[in-house]
Amino acid sequence: MYEEEKKDDIWEKLGNFDVRWMFLGCIVLIFVPMIWPLGLPTIVSQPTKDYYNALVDLPPGSILAVSFGGGFGALDEREAQFIATFKTIFSTDLKMVIYCQVSEGPAVLEYIIGEGTGLADPLKYGKVYGEDYVRLGYAPLGEVGETAITTNIRSMFSTDYYGTPLDNIPMMENINGADDIDLLWADYGACTTIEWYIRQWVVPEQMPLIITTLGCCAPMAAPYYPGQLIGFLSGSGMGTELEITSGNPGPGARTSDIKNLAILPFLLYLLLGNISSFGKKYMR
Amino acid sequence: MSFVKRDLPLIILSACGLMLLLNFFVPTDIGNVVKAELTTWTVIIGCIGTFLGIYYMTISQWRLLQQTKTTIQYFYFATIFGFMFLWLAVGLYFPGGVTSPQYLWLQNNLYRNQSGMVYGVMFFTLSSSAYRTFTIRSIESFALLVGGVIYMLRQIPIFPAIWPGLLPLGEWILLVPNVGGGRGAVICAALAALVVGIRTLSGREATMMEVQ
Repeated sequence: MYEEEKKDDIWEKLGNFDVRWMFLGCIVLIFVPMIWPLGLPTIVSQPTKDYYNALVDLPPGSILAVSFGGGFGALDEREAQFIATFKTIFSTDLKMVIYCQVSEGPAVLEYIIGEGTGLADPLKYGKVYGEDYVRLGYAPLGEVGETAITTNIRSMFSTDYYGTPLDNIPMMENINGADDIDLLWADYGACTTIEWYIRQWVVPEQMPLIITTLGCCAPMAAPYYPGQLIGFLSGSGMGTELEITSGNPGPGARTSDIKNLAILPFLLYLLLGNISSFGKKYMR
Repeated sequence: MSFVKRDLPLIILSACGLMLLLNFFVPTDIGNVVKAELTTWTVIIGCIGTFLGIYYMTISQWRLLQQTKTTIQYFYFATIFGFMFLWLAVGLYFPGGVTSPQYLWLQNNLYRNQSGMVYGVMFFTLSSSAYRTFTIRSIESFALLVGGVIYMLRQIPIFPAIWPGLLPLGEWILLVPNVGGGRGAVICAALAALVVGIRTLSGREATMMEVQ
């Protein structure tokens, strides 16, 4: 009898709320901002300001190395960061060497900075391939690959992404390792990858570092900020902040709108679960 | 275990490790040359290792298929290796290799969609694990809930728009308590890595040698 009463009480019912309603609510709310954008104000945080300043404060002609780890899976979370960062770089007089530490990276880069087709098209900024930026393709072996690049880029890449020997590319004439690079932008999607850059670039080479990563990876990057890490972006929220700071509006606002609403059913579910748990423990 | 299988690899590994360590603390021109050469060889060995891994995986899967000749096993084998060799063939056959329009078409139209789908499906499992993590059962889980939810809300513009104080509060949680705990964890991990490194260089780390 007592067990049956327990099954019927409000605390038990709250705890047994069907999770599928939450999933349905999230799915429905994902579509709402696509039709009616919310257009909420975004406040820019200090790591984003520092990230932006690290790029724009570099003297003209400085060399920026990009260790790109963007994959297709989390592109919705990262797209705003990529587009706003590349547009910021193309708006300056920096020289950029890009390599990818994930195999799908070159295809993602083609989508983002492909000449004539990319969302941050270098041609629109008057950038010339081989003089202002170079794409090196996929650098396998993870951290070992990073070490090889700090020591001797040509040990990893004898040609660029398009098969042109590096020695035939004007921009690469005097670039062969960390000594020739002024700033590293590391992008990654696995939270502990930050340590590769700290171990291989920052500590031995004294390299200034900025990063972009997933929203969930910020807590693992934060211990290095603002010491070894100058600035960082995590998730589409900070991507939106960079869009605002750099004056390059993009998809970040839409993604943030979607997250704004889609998280609400989950928060409600979390609240109900905790009320149920509290009630079962203290209110019976 | 013989000298060739145990002692020789250990001597080579220790010599390489000590040379790199020495160059880290006392950088010299010759040390930099040695480091560059060793790093190049690491890349070569790593690339050969990748091909060996694919070879052994294929052999192993084939043997598994011989043991369980069911339809579903054939389906898995054919699907996985079919796609793998499709990518390989397209990357090698068409002019431009991985930059060819054909290869990029595969990446953009097949790989990209399934990759996004896998990430999307994670929402269901992640929300389930987040729910279990954020259910208050103790003072520690309460602290985790408060910190986690404030940081989560700070990441979503609607909440700082409603209450602007959420942004500095979320930043404070990220950059003060999280940094304190995070740095402690990093120092612990670094000390543990140091111990493993010393054990490896001195040949006491069993996981390095048990390759038979």
